[in-house]
Amino acid sequence: MSLRTLILSPLILLVAAGCVTQHQRYDWGSYDPSLYGYYKNPADAGELSASLKAVIDAASANKAVVPPGIYAEYGYLQLQQGKNSAAIDLFKQEESHWPESKVFMDRMIKVASTPVGGTTPRSAAP
Amino acid sequence: MNFTSKIALLSLVTLFAGCASRPPRYDYSQFRTEGPRSILVVPVINKSIDVNAPDYFLATIATPLAERGYYVFPINMVKSVLADDGLSDANLVHAGDPHRLGELFGTDAVMYISIERWDAKYVVLATTVTVELNYTLKSAHTGQVLWKNHQIVAYQPQQNNGGGIAGLVANAIAAAITKAAPDYMPLARQANSGAINVKGMGLPAGPYDSLFGKDSADY
Repeated sequence: MSLRTLILSPLILLVAAGCVTQHQRYDWGSYDPSLYGYYKNPADAGELSASLKAVIDAASANKAVVPPGIYAEYGYLQLQQGKNSAAIDLFKQEESHWPESKVFMDRMIKVASTPVGGTTPRSAAP
Repeated sequence: MNFTSKIALLSLVTLFAGCASRPPRYDYSQFRTEGPRSILVVPVINKSIDVNAPDYFLATIATPLAERGYYVFPINMVKSVLADDGLSDANLVHAGDPHRLGELFGTDAVMYISIERWDAKYVVLATTVTVELNYTLKSAHTGQVLWKNHQIVAYQPQQNNGGGIAGLVANAIAAAITKAAPDYMPLARQANSGAINVKGMGLPAGPYDSLFGKDSADY
């Protein structure tokens, strides 16, 4: 490899890298692979639930921001298990951290607060 | 300056210009008018024959959008709630009014994705895995298209050219393994990154990025 090639190749890499922006804003833990695992095998809800909780715990331990949607995803799994008050708390957390979620979370808090016969969550279509 | 150096200099200048101004640039005028803060990803249309592709793909889309600085609605929760509301049919949702979804979820924008290809092709001993996607972001307020992108990512497992018959056998084994369980996830992630993170064509920085509203030179 000539000197010129040595100088040029990092330069080219630098130019190419300049075209793409990438950074890690949040700690997602194993959210992606767990969601994939859950879709592959829906019986794996427990694993998805554990990984969502781990993301929340890690963020609070590191005083970091919980990524958007994680409180809500975790809350929804709680709701599916009939743990409505835990679900409501998590929906409120999502809403207070991410004001963009207000309309949706208010609707889901209403769903979780309405006593229904079974424990299956039903969304309230207006 | 001799002729060769002139050519070399010229090509270097072209190389730099290639990033700054040359590539086709998406027209962001509608996007800038609305400046969406939140994105709702709705069920994905599947044109491939792999029935699991939409679900698997969904597991890759939240992180790149959120990392770009947007509020992304909880993917799995949205999917279930839409299904409860009778909106699990992707074709129906895509043909529907984004304004209605805006009312239901309070989102600024809706991301419609369709899987054009999600397959593995086998030609004798070599395998090519391909993922092709179309992305369309529409305003939930005005229904206008804010942004579009198309990605095709293909992967050919590395060929082992070294070993005569042994090499051929190794390739055959690799192809068989890929055939049993091709891993589309890295390709889907690469497609997302190519759609979202490339200057001039990707998504401008969202509200949780310090460049929000300040990156109009690049987008």
